[in-house]
Amino acid sequence: MISHDIRPILSALLRNRTGAVLVALQVAIALAVLVNAVYVVKQRVDKIGRPTGVDVENIFVAISAGFATDYNHAATTRADLAWLRRLPGVRAATLSSNIPLSGGGSATTLFQTPEVKGEGTFMNYFDVDESGVDALGVRLVAGRNFRADEILPEDPTGSKPVPNIIVTKPLAKALFGTEDAVGKVTYDALGHPVSVIGVIEHMQGSWVDSDKLDHVGLLPRRAVGPNATYLVRAVPGQRDAILKLAEEHLSTSDLRRVLRIVRPLDYYRDRSYQADRNIAIFLVTVTALLGCVTALGIFALATFNVNVRTRQIGTRRAVGARKADIVRYFMVENWLVTTAGVVLGAALALGVGYALSRAYELPRLDLYYLIGGVLVLWAIGQVAAWQPSKRAAKVSPSVATRTV
Amino acid sequence: MMGYYLKLAARSLARNPGLTSLMVLAIALGIAVCVVTLTVHHGMSSNPIWWKNDRLYAVTVDAWDPERPANEKRPALPPPDLTWRDAEAITRSDTPQRAVRMFKGYGVLSAGDPASKARPEQVLARVTTADFFDMFEVPFRFGNGWKSAADTGPEPVIVLSEEMNEHFFGGADSVGKTIRWDDREYRVIGVLEHWHPAPKFYDVNNGAFDDPEEIYIPFGWTDKLELRSAGNTNCWKPEDIQSFADFLRSECVWLQVWVELPDAAARERMQSYLDNYVAGERRNGRFQRPNNNRLTKVDQWLADNDVVGNDSPMLVALAFAFFTVCLINTVGLLLAKFLGSAALTGVRRALGASRKQIFLQHLTEAGLLASLGAALGVVLAGAGLWGLRIMYASPREGLTGLMHVNAWSLVITVALAIGASLAAGLYPAWRVGRLAPAVYLKSQ
Repeated sequence: MISHDIRPILSALLRNRTGAVLVALQVAIALAVLVNAVYVVKQRVDKIGRPTGVDVENIFVAISAGFATDYNHAATTRADLAWLRRLPGVRAATLSSNIPLSGGGSATTLFQTPEVKGEGTFMNYFDVDESGVDALGVRLVAGRNFRADEILPEDPTGSKPVPNIIVTKPLAKALFGTEDAVGKVTYDALGHPVSVIGVIEHMQGSWVDSDKLDHVGLLPRRAVGPNATYLVRAVPGQRDAILKLAEEHLSTSDLRRVLRIVRPLDYYRDRSYQADRNIAIFLVTVTALLGCVTALGIFALATFNVNVRTRQIGTRRAVGARKADIVRYFMVENWLVTTAGVVLGAALALGVGYALSRAYELPRLDLYYLIGGVLVLWAIGQVAAWQPSKRAAKVSPSVATRTV
Repeated sequence: MMGYYLKLAARSLARNPGLTSLMVLAIALGIAVCVVTLTVHHGMSSNPIWWKNDRLYAVTVDAWDPERPANEKRPALPPPDLTWRDAEAITRSDTPQRAVRMFKGYGVLSAGDPASKARPEQVLARVTTADFFDMFEVPFRFGNGWKSAADTGPEPVIVLSEEMNEHFFGGADSVGKTIRWDDREYRVIGVLEHWHPAPKFYDVNNGAFDDPEEIYIPFGWTDKLELRSAGNTNCWKPEDIQSFADFLRSECVWLQVWVELPDAAARERMQSYLDNYVAGERRNGRFQRPNNNRLTKVDQWLADNDVVGNDSPMLVALAFAFFTVCLINTVGLLLAKFLGSAALTGVRRALGASRKQIFLQHLTEAGLLASLGAALGVVLAGAGLWGLRIMYASPREGLTGLMHVNAWSLVITVALAIGASLAAGLYPAWRVGRLAPAVYLKSQ
């Protein structure tokens, strides 16, 4: 039945192929773009959506900069923290050397032995105080938090020993080969011993594009002045109100410094992912437009075919073809054209996918995406051809007997 | 004749407005997507000081860890910044016409006049030697930069950006007035015009499209005031750094060095100066990595530092795929339209129109369509760029600055689009001229 249908359609197509070839080409390019664009978008969306381990939504950042010659960093930061912690609705506040997820941070290398030989292990670190764990909202799964009396004074040289640290599970694993790291000892770049006193489940550090984003350590140390970065974690729903209060207070409480920035932490996260988000939006927009243009092309070809074959359709109707037969004729014809395009497009899509995976170090294109793309284009083709086919079926058999 | 063709074309387009608007829309979308994508790509990959591309060189040497390269992803490259002592030794050469060593510092700027109501501001500072302004052709509104004597003094002089002069002096000529930076008094000797090179080629660390620094301070203050970098400071060597002097002696890299070399001979002399210097240091036990002493032109520098967004080539490929589809579409639609009215053409041919006339007449129709598409395309592109500006809305003026459509590039794009659409019309116009009139007249 089908082959009986297809043969005349094919021979009609082959006799007048330019239009069909053009549409098939469009379908091929559209498929290649669609499949790969969706694949890239999926990668970016996954990247943006990774869990941070940090209570990003409820934290805000305040940065103050002391500048007067009589500015006393230790006294001012102590007063600021005491004020912030007394505010109702504040869960915790800490001084921090850097802002997580902001694209700016500090890193060092830890070693297996005090001789600091060999590869070493990368650590992205944050200087925090005894409220650091709570202010970040990270979950301590083993060991303990820092005590207030363990917080070291600020160290502009950055080379004094730090005897205790808290690490993330992935960093623990990288350091010791096991997540059970409490009590284990590693060595800083100058050979000072550092013991792990606590392990946190998960925390993303400074650089969202790094493959060691979650190799993070917390150091019990007051961050170096005269800049002070505070991370303040509010109880859910109160962040914005507290941010406003803090801004008012900190900008007037001490005129020997300026309050530079008060911003929610999600501002920094969003800024870090801006390029990824924009490329995703761009790809989705252009791909959708490409789908529309392709549908237009298919629609136009079908309309044209119907228009030039009015007499032929009339004749077929006159010799007994039902309306459904006419509709099927045009739908099948269209399906053949789309399929030719899809076959070419599949090869093109795989080629583009291969090039992309080479250029962006992505995993190879998943075949499910290709199958999905083929189905989508078949659907687009059939939808676009539906209206012209219905119109063809309306051609009256009497047309065959009339001259134009 | 042309007027007649145009009239015929307009009438033909008006005959089926549905198909006509589809064609116009397809062309317009193709143009709009291309203009938007190429504008972004162009902005991201442009060289803001292209006219000095063969005179300006970033200087880098590789005193990094013998065990591993500075940049694991690009192991062939030396670190982008230099140590204090290498920067000093390199800029001591008298070969370059101009040379700078510099870094990005920070501090709080406050009014020098106690009566001033201007709020103190934390600012980024370019701590640099005197040649910076002439070398990078920085435009001045008032006054000018300092002489190299001010670097060694060092003299308490400062150059303000347009924005800071606006903030502290209401935009007036502030040359000779005082201002305080980190609570020390400086004399204003120059105020810049609006200057936003994008990308910020002379220091692409921490955001190549960031705004330039707000103030400029003589480099000589670095060791006097123990100024720290607000940019990158990278260290590989375990060193016991107890004081600022220790830090300056360390293997930490944090300074940018640029030289201006007028010709190839100077370039060669500079290269051998570098090679000699590094060879000498090698004998002292430093520079244990392979020789990698580079003088890098601005465009290569931007490429080495991945300033052109990673995604940019992908966008350009996508734009071209899109444009191709739109063109194929246009060919198909024109073919459909022309052959659809073949009977009419048959009558014209029978009445004596030549093939060439039929061809020209249809090409005119294609041209009219292309012009309509281009006009709509420009409007759509405007909307698209406006949308992009919202997406990138941020304090980074650099990137949004790029999005302003350059009138000239718009003209070129539109001309190209019309040309391409005309080319797309060639085949259908030729095809319809080839039809034998008799076939279409038979049933009349």
